Amino acid sequence: MKKKWISILLVVVMATAFFTGCSGSSEPKGDSEKGALDYSTIKIGEITSLVVNDGGWCQATHQSLLAAMKELGIPESNLVVIENVAEDQTSVANAYNALASEGVNLIIGASAGYATFLSDLAASNPDIVVAQQGDQVPNLIGYQIRNYEGMFLAGYASALMAESDKLGFAGSMSEASVRAAINGYALGAKFANPEAKVQLVWANSWYDVDLETQSAKTLINQGIKFMGMEASSPAIPQTCQANNAYCIGYNVDMHDLAPNAVLFSYMWNFAPIFKDILTATVDGTADSSKYYYEGGDCAQLSPFNDAIVPADIQEKVLSVKAALDRGEIQVFGGELKDNEGNILVADGEVMSDEDIKVQKFLVENVIGSWK
Amino acid sequence: MISFITSICAAAIVYAVSILYAAIGEIFSQRAGIMNLGIEGIMLMGAMSGFMTVYHTENLLLAFLVTILVGLLLGLAFAFLTVTLQADQTVCGMAFLIFCSGLSGFLGKSVTGIASAVKFEPIPIPGLSSIPVIGEIFFQQDIFVYLMYLVIPLSIFYIYKTKAGLMLRALGENPASLDQAGINVFAMRYGYVMFACAMTTISGACISLSYTNFWNEGMTGGKGWIAFSLVAFSRWNPAYAVLGALLFGGISILGINMQVYLPGVPSQFYGMLPYAATVVALVITTGSFRKKHSEEPAALCQKYDREDR
Repeated sequence: MKKKWISILLVVVMATAFFTGCSGSSEPKGDSEKGALDYSTIKIGEITSLVVNDGGWCQATHQSLLAAMKELGIPESNLVVIENVAEDQTSVANAYNALASEGVNLIIGASAGYATFLSDLAASNPDIVVAQQGDQVPNLIGYQIRNYEGMFLAGYASALMAESDKLGFAGSMSEASVRAAINGYALGAKFANPEAKVQLVWANSWYDVDLETQSAKTLINQGIKFMGMEASSPAIPQTCQANNAYCIGYNVDMHDLAPNAVLFSYMWNFAPIFKDILTATVDGTADSSKYYYEGGDCAQLSPFNDAIVPADIQEKVLSVKAALDRGEIQVFGGELKDNEGNILVADGEVMSDEDIKVQKFLVENVIGSWK
Repeated sequence: MISFITSICAAAIVYAVSILYAAIGEIFSQRAGIMNLGIEGIMLMGAMSGFMTVYHTENLLLAFLVTILVGLLLGLAFAFLTVTLQADQTVCGMAFLIFCSGLSGFLGKSVTGIASAVKFEPIPIPGLSSIPVIGEIFFQQDIFVYLMYLVIPLSIFYIYKTKAGLMLRALGENPASLDQAGINVFAMRYGYVMFACAMTTISGACISLSYTNFWNEGMTGGKGWIAFSLVAFSRWNPAYAVLGALLFGGISILGINMQVYLPGVPSQFYGMLPYAATVVALVITTGSFRKKHSEEPAALCQKYDREDR
């Protein structure tokens, strides 16, 4: 009998603790505020698939948003973040409704997996502007970064540094933006050294410390000293560091995680896009059919690791970046062949954005397959 | 070719060790009649608490001790629920899994995605490490691997060759008979559950203190479940658990290498291999065609209540 009471007491205590943790949403706010919006009153909601300091994708999105808000003078307290939102209907709807009841004017969805659910929700409530990373979807402002521009520079720098023609690339999953990173890296390497080849290894996982470690080790065992990566954990830079190899960080600045191995990092910089969306939300001109596909400053590089990258190579990389930004170098410019011998782009032509976005190929000097 | 093989074998050992602590701990727990489904969550608590300590103090020994302490406390809580309150073990295990996964993410939030200054580095054993091939595979590892070299024979000896091991096996088969012999069945179960949880948190520490030097939510990536399935696979014998862990680790690691050596095969196929191998091995080792009686402890998942008799 005593046990029964202890069990019941435990259940009550746990349930109380659980529900107090869940409460805290305030009353919904009406539309009346909308006309009087200025930068200090805009309220922003952010939905992320992991935590905002995940050391990868979500962190890049969050930092960009904070940077854009700071530039516009929006206090950080105007941002409501819901983390760990799974890519399914219930979770996304829950997060959306919670943000709506907090009275947000803009919601940023930081995973392409939210698209279909957010699209339906946005259609039912046109008062809240919703922006979503990924492809263009009805009712949502879409945004995507031309990561291949940054990765072109990564490949270029690796090939300049490497003594051998063989470079490596550790990929996560075969998805369009990942293939864009690989192809950008390989084309950049070829730009520096026409003989450069890139050995590709897939982990087939978005986050797996063991497999990522092993990917890096496999490449290093092949005699490869310089590699690119598209992965979220610090396992690859750390494995490089332990084996006297080098890599280019991805997502965020990975320098501090492996200071003797990271040449520099490719970083997603959504801040210019977010700044534009925030401005449009405030002045009431936000258009849900708008789509951003940006390169340049959005495909940002972290500061160089001066201890490893010589000054002349730094200069060369920066001058190629300037040429990319001016449009003098087209990453996917002809003549371009895939690694099965098909001609993708004829000489003198440039690949269309539609083809660049889907990336159904690996370029000529990549050793590996994407299917 | 030799360097390729040694590299794969050395990596397979590291992989195997990180699941073996949890698997051997769970073998003890299940032999005592208590099944803990929450291994994955408890591993995460171990990884998080160890990393948090090392990040703030830069003291690896302290981090290791904190990890064990966290394991013992979690074990105490789990034993209270399943032994004293006699709650359903499956339900409690799932509750622990969800609770510990969430709690580790919550408590570890401030140290997510940053590297600690120190980690357990490989220590080549003087003399032994210079033996060709063997030295590279076995004796250029870190302290977790060397400790495991002791844990394996000791656990086998304990279970099969000591009086305490005999009592442990009896506890999982027929706790009532032990009780009649005047042995405190409840205290024994408390002890083994706490031991198992401490071993499980050490598995977690392997990942955040030696394999890498960072913490991230959910970083064990399903290793706890592999450890759990190893227990049935091993037929509750640590020796077979070692073989299973090496098999699984070896095939996982070989898969990535094969992408380079056999590029024609889709890479997803290699990703599937360890799981396919596990299914085949499970059928071979536990299939009913092989033996008439199961080696599963008869009292596993059964609550023990004196008043039931």
